This record gives sequence, C-alpha cells and structure tokens, in this order.
Amino acid sequence: MTELFGTNGIRGIVNKDMTSDFALQIGKAWGTYLQRKTDNPSVVIGTDARLSNTMLKYSITAGFLATGCDVTDIGLVPTPSLQYTVRMKQFDSGVMITASHNPPEFNGIKGIDADGTEFSKKTEEEIEGIYFSKCYKLVSWDAVGSYKTWDGANDLYLNGILSTVDIDAIKDHGFHVVLDCGNGAGSVVAPLLLKKLGCKVTELYCEPDGRFPGHPSEPVPENVKELIRTVKEEQADLGIAQDGDADRAIFIDEKGAYVWGDQTLSLFANYHTKNKKNCIVVTPVTSSTSLDDVVEKNNGIVVHTQVGSPIVARVMREKNAVFGGEENGGLIFPELQYCRDSAMTLAKMLELLTVTERSLSSLLSDIPQYIVVKKKIHCKDSIKQEVMRSIHDDVLNDDNVIRIDTTDGLKLYFKNGWVLMRPSGTEPLFRIYAEAKWSRDAEDLSKSFCTIVQDHIQKHERT
Amino acid sequence: MIETINQHIFRAYDIRGLYGKDIDPTVFYRIGLGAGTYLLKHMGKTKITVGNDLRQSSHSLVHAFISGLTATGAQVTFTGTTSFGQTLFAGWKNDQDLISFVTASHLPPEWNGVKFYFGDGVGLPEEELMKIRDYVLQHQWTERAWQDIKPVIPIDPIRSYADFFRSNFSYKKPIRVAVDCGGASMTLSVPSIIKDLGLDLVPVYCEPDPSFSQRPSDPKEENLKTLVSTVKKESCDFGVAFDGDGDRSVIVDNKGNVLSADQTGIILGKYGIPSKGGTVIVNVECSKAVEEQLTHIGYTIKQIQVGHTFLTLYAKKERSPLGIESSGHLILPQYFLFDDAFVIPLKIAEILDSTSQSLHDLLKDIPIYPRKKLEIPCSDETKFDVITHLAKECTNEYDDVNTLDGVRVSLEKGWALVRASNTSPIIRLTAEADTEKDLNEITTLFEKKTERYVDEMKMAAHMA
Repeated sequence: MTELFGTNGIRGIVNKDMTSDFALQIGKAWGTYLQRKTDNPSVVIGTDARLSNTMLKYSITAGFLATGCDVTDIGLVPTPSLQYTVRMKQFDSGVMITASHNPPEFNGIKGIDADGTEFSKKTEEEIEGIYFSKCYKLVSWDAVGSYKTWDGANDLYLNGILSTVDIDAIKDHGFHVVLDCGNGAGSVVAPLLLKKLGCKVTELYCEPDGRFPGHPSEPVPENVKELIRTVKEEQADLGIAQDGDADRAIFIDEKGAYVWGDQTLSLFANYHTKNKKNCIVVTPVTSSTSLDDVVEKNNGIVVHTQVGSPIVARVMREKNAVFGGEENGGLIFPELQYCRDSAMTLAKMLELLTVTERSLSSLLSDIPQYIVVKKKIHCKDSIKQEVMRSIHDDVLNDDNVIRIDTTDGLKLYFKNGWVLMRPSGTEPLFRIYAEAKWSRDAEDLSKSFCTIVQDHIQKHERT
Repeated sequence: MIETINQHIFRAYDIRGLYGKDIDPTVFYRIGLGAGTYLLKHMGKTKITVGNDLRQSSHSLVHAFISGLTATGAQVTFTGTTSFGQTLFAGWKNDQDLISFVTASHLPPEWNGVKFYFGDGVGLPEEELMKIRDYVLQHQWTERAWQDIKPVIPIDPIRSYADFFRSNFSYKKPIRVAVDCGGASMTLSVPSIIKDLGLDLVPVYCEPDPSFSQRPSDPKEENLKTLVSTVKKESCDFGVAFDGDGDRSVIVDNKGNVLSADQTGIILGKYGIPSKGGTVIVNVECSKAVEEQLTHIGYTIKQIQVGHTFLTLYAKKERSPLGIESSGHLILPQYFLFDDAFVIPLKIAEILDSTSQSLHDLLKDIPIYPRKKLEIPCSDETKFDVITHLAKECTNEYDDVNTLDGVRVSLEKGWALVRASNTSPIIRLTAEADTEKDLNEITTLFEKKTERYVDEMKMAAHMA
C-alpha cells in the first residue's frame, strides 16, 4: 500500500500538502530510482493548465537535475500527449503535473513509465521508499542534468491520432461538433484535431485557465449543461466534454442526451469485437453488465480487473486486448497507446459515426441498458480490511448469491443484478455500487447492502 | 542534502558557494522564498526576471530558485540559459521590479551563486541583500494559496537583445576582433551578434564549455595567452575577453598588450562619447591617469567606493556617461545602466571604425604610472579602527583626502589608498605615483603610518 500515491498519482492542496519543497524531494527520490535502473536517465515533463503547475514543475525538475537526470520540458499538454511522447521519444520516465478533474486548489504528480503506461504500484512503492529514507543519490556539480524545452509534443501526438483514422472519410461527413474543454489541457489539442478532421466546431471553454472559470472540471451532468444546451440549439451531431488533463471524455448525443461513460464503453466494445472471434476487452469490476452482454454476444471475452486505469492498461497489454476502459469515460485504444485518451476517443467516435453512417443516439439504442446506483459510506481506514472480511464471511451463507468475485472488494451476483462493495483507496470511504436491469431492483439491492455495510462498520467501530 | 544554510554564502554583492557543500537545490529553493518575500513584502511588487549562466549546476539551482519565488506569489519571467546581459536586458526592457541571475561570475566551475538587480539594472546594495539573507535564515516567508500562484512565463531574449545592438551599432569597416568567451556564458550571445554587425570575428574559446576546461573564467592577464597570441598572429584590430557571466571585459590592443580597466575607460571617454561632459564615476582604486586624461577635455570625475553595485548606483544618481571600476566593470549608460560587458568591445570597434589610427596608437598618449600593492596583517577586531584613526590623522594633515572607502590621499606626485579587507585579517595599501622613486616614498610613508596604528591597537588590546 502506497502512502503518497493514490489511484492516479500523488494529489494534494497547493502549498498545504502539495508544496514545492515536497515536489523537489519527490524529484530527487524519483531521479535516484531512475539512476539505479539506467545510465544517464532522461525525463520528460508536462503540465495541465493549473496556476501552480510551473511552480511544481520547476521544483520537481530541480530534483531530477540534482540527481543527474536530463529533463525535457514540453509545457502544457494533455496527459495522453505526454504518455505518447514518453514512448515515441524513448524517455526513461514521464512526469505529469495535474490533479485531473479535482477542484483548482488541488494539484498532483503522475508518473509514466518508459512504455507510456502509468506507473505500477511496485514502481510507486520503490520511489516512496527512497523518499521516506531520504537516501538520495545527489550528483556532483559537473554531473548535474541538463534542461531543455521542446514544443513538438502535441503535434507528434496529434499526428499519431490522425494516423489511426481515415481522415478523408470523416472529412466527407462534415460533422458539427460542440467541444467543451472545460478550460483544461485538452484545449491545446482537441480544437485542432477537430479542424483537421474537417469538422465544424463550436468551442466552449477552449482556453486553458487553471481557475476553471467555465465550470468545475469533472464532466458530470450538472457541469455540462451549457454543452447540452448548445448541442440542441445548434443541432450539432455530437457534443464532447474533457476532464482537466484530457484523459477522459464524455459525449452528448445529437438529441442533447448525456451519454454515461458505461454506455460509451459498451458502444466501443461492441465496435471492436463485432464480426471477430475471441477478442479480449478489459475493464474494472465496476463496469456495467451491458459491456459483458455486447462482448459475449460478439463471441468475445471480458477480463475484469481491479479498479485503476494503470491496471486496466497493463492487463490489456498482457492479454493483447483489442479495447479497454473505465466507466468514467477513460477509454484505452491499444492501436495508439495503452492509456486513457480523450482526443483519441473523440477521433474514434467520429470514425464510428462515419463507418456506421448512424447517429449516436441510434447506435446507443443497440446497447443494453442497466440502472446503476452508487453510494458511499464513511469508514475509518484502519478498520476497512476487517469490515471487508466480516461481510465476506456473512454472505457465504446467503443462498441468493449466485457468484462471488473478489477481484477488487466484494462483488456479489444475484439473479436480478449485482452489488459491489469496495473500500476506497484514497479516502476514508466504502463505495457501494448496485446494478440491475430495473431501477427498483437496483435501489433495493443498494439499500439492503448499504445497511449491511453500515452494520459491519458499526460493529467494528465498537470493538 | 544541505539541512542548515551557511550564512557566509550571503556576501556583499551576491550569494556564492560551492555546489553540493554550501548550496544545492534545497538551499536555492529557500533563497527563492526569501527573495520572493523581499519582492512582495518589502518592495510591495511582484515582477521578477530570472536567468542563469551555463554552469552545469545552474540548471538545478535556477529551477529550485524560481519555484521558491513562485510559491510566494511572485510573477517570474524565465529567460533560461543566457549571458548575463541577455537576462538583464530582458528584465530592463520588460519593466521588471527585480532581476536575478544565477552565476558565480569568474569563479571556478564547482562554484555557483545568484546576483540581484533592480529593474533598471542597478545592483542590490549590501543592506538590501542582507534583508533577503534574514528572510532566508529566519524562515520568514509565506507560501501562498493556489489562486495567488502565477505561472512562470518562459521567454527567449535572444532576438530582442540582438536587435538592440543592431539598432545601436553599425560599422563601415570590417574591424577584425578576436573574441575570447572562455567557453562561458558570452558564447551564447556575443559571437553571433558580432558577425551580424559585420565585424570580422576571430573566435577564441567561443564554444560553450560548462566546465571551463580551456581557460579559467577569470580574465586575468595570465589567463589570456591564447587571446594575445591570436590577436598578434591573426593581425586583429583588437581582442576582447569576458569573465564567466559577462559583466567584465578585458581589451587587448593590436600589438597584444592587455589593457587595464582604467586604460579602456580613458579610451571610451576620450573617443567614444561625443558630448564629453558630465560626471565620470571612478572608484578609489582607479589610476590618476583617468582624472588627468578626462577632466581637461570636459568631464568631471567622481570618486566612489569599491564595488560594481556602487558604480551603477552613482551613475544613475549623477546621470553619468561613463563608469569605471578598476576590477573591470565598465558602464556606458547611454545604452543601459547595467554592466553588460558586451557593449565595451562594440564601442571600441566603433571608435576604431571612425579613425585611421590603431588602438595601440590611441593608447600612446595615455601614461601608465607605476603602482604598488602591499598587505599589512591586522586582526579582524582592530582593522576598521585602524582605518578610522588613520582617516582622522590624514584629514588633518592633507588637503585632498577621500574617506568614502578606506582612506585615499591624493598628493602632488601620486596617491595612496589604505583599506581594510572585508574578508581577511588584512589591511591593503595601494599606491600610484609619477615615478618609481615617488612611489617608494609614498608607499613607505603610508605603510609606516598604518603600521603605527596597527601596533597601537595591538598594544591596547593586549593591555585590555
């Protein structure tokens, strides 16, 4: 279990727990880790649009240089652009300064491996070990690393995406897209991508601004009302919203309906497995049954993993999967790279609409729909594991449970749906997901298992 | 990692230390916090431009330093790895409140440090630097909340800097100039601009070399052998050498003679400034030749204390056309106040462009007087008292005494300067005179005067 790194890197409130001094020490620890692995390590660093980005970028850079690593600064980039650059330009590590969709007072540090995937837990543990031991390998004056800037990363990435789609076919369609970058890092790539694909573009909040003046950076329904309204008013073919570092995308169909991440995930899973056999799709245990339905119908295989995009990406590569992703709009297309990528998702969406010659709402009507109810219950970190164990012991005697999946937390399948209970990796919480075909069943499942979790927590709190 | 900061890195004109021993990124991060607090709290301003020389350790130090500045809410503009002049120029042109340059000037490559200037290029005087020191050592800083943090603005000053010289200098003749950058920061600006301006460049150590392996970065005469032989062999009109960061230049004439800062200053005053009026700033160590050569053609001379910070400070106050520091800092405020040494060879070339005489010919009328330097041991506790007593005695005895920095007595046939060293238990005696005989007389006289007080103080201390 890592103390500093959460599910998606290190996060904190600027100049409270996320200070320059801290970033400097992390740079030294990370640089020491790289020095142990390779000679003359090279690091590439980028940021999203937050106000404190350069502050943290410069301090972590100082730490890398002091341990003898060379640093290339690529400026403001979407996270997937940095990941693409790491692999294509053969850096030993990538550093992304971002707090993704978190409010503006937050910032964070995300680590990328040489292959472009997010850091594994093992790597994060090693770096943390060095950080807490303070055994940094600082070099003498003549071996300090060199620093340079490079402004070609976003072009490299953009051309990479364009090489995976039939540009002319998409251009011929002449799509009208409403694009909401939420003042995030997507602003520096997505508008250009759409223009290169011959789209008419209506831009909302496509200027990078770390105060997020347009709306909060998480693309949930209440934050994208203006996008929905604009799609309807302008009768556009599609609306898209990106999160702060542009690794996740949420779509609005041509009728102005908000498309949930689960629906997009199933839509692309269907597209990638149709008319093929034994294709593998990877997704965490939290994803909807609709994904299983479409993939199984196409004679494909779904592999369920623990929650966390780095895990999904790694399993995809191991299993040679055709597609994968999360229910939050983070989709992974292995033909470009093994990471969540909103601009790539956008390009593939336009390809899908072009190839099928159907509207998004009509494509979605093919996808089976389920109702998901998500709840969270407060629980001290110290008792999470015991609570989990005692719930597990209890349900073993429940005859209604058809199947138990312990990949991540406890997932119980019933005749009419499933429930997943899992302790959060980053917050003092239990998350309870319930899914069923019918709203009432989902509500009932959710209610009864919330009570069970609550009871177990109380029992353990008392002891 | 350095946990406690050695307070001796804070010096009279800058901050300096050995990388990995006295200074490292953590120390520079804290200096950034202190300097940011000085800028925001003490000055009530926000804008600072920062650059660094090409020493290998400058990369890690400058990034940590900027990060500290930014954490306090400062608006930092970063010029990157540049010559001293490029960063000062950018700060001056962009109307900044402070300018910082990460460098250890002419010191060996294992050293590094940082210099501070106000937006107009006047260096921060010692008492202001000590305020920064106190903020750093006493941890008096505030790391601001997210909405007060301003993203760093990276800029590339190369073009605007070059354009400035292109619009201020032009030449009819292809003056042949040997340029010795010593592999240091001036390699980043000087050779290309010299060529651009149509001068005939003969490069000496003009490739970047962060370890200064070709020559030490202090442009002392003994370090300039390659330049001198190149000037002679290549029949150059003159040669120029710069120190590590580029705030000092040394001129070599067409016969290979290395000029003192005083000689160069006299040439600039006599031939480089058409108006020939106003107050020329010189420090107390400058040769009497400066006054002799420049007053009779219209200038007034003002003698000030040693230290290039004072040079720019007084030049600003007096609206001077020229400033000369015996250590090699020269300024021509018609262009800018700060001591970017690049302007000096460009001016020398301009002078040579408009005359048929060689630099060696122009120097013929300028006398070089014999000069002597002595060190008199004296304890740190008493050295300043010795100077006070000597000052009192000399003021009573002589007509022309300057006590701004030590005691400087002007006599009919020469002068003597007695100063306490700031860093060592030494009193320094410098004298200059018309002849060797006069010089010996003056030196002996002032050596005796000084030693008498040294002995008296020693006795008094012993008795106590």
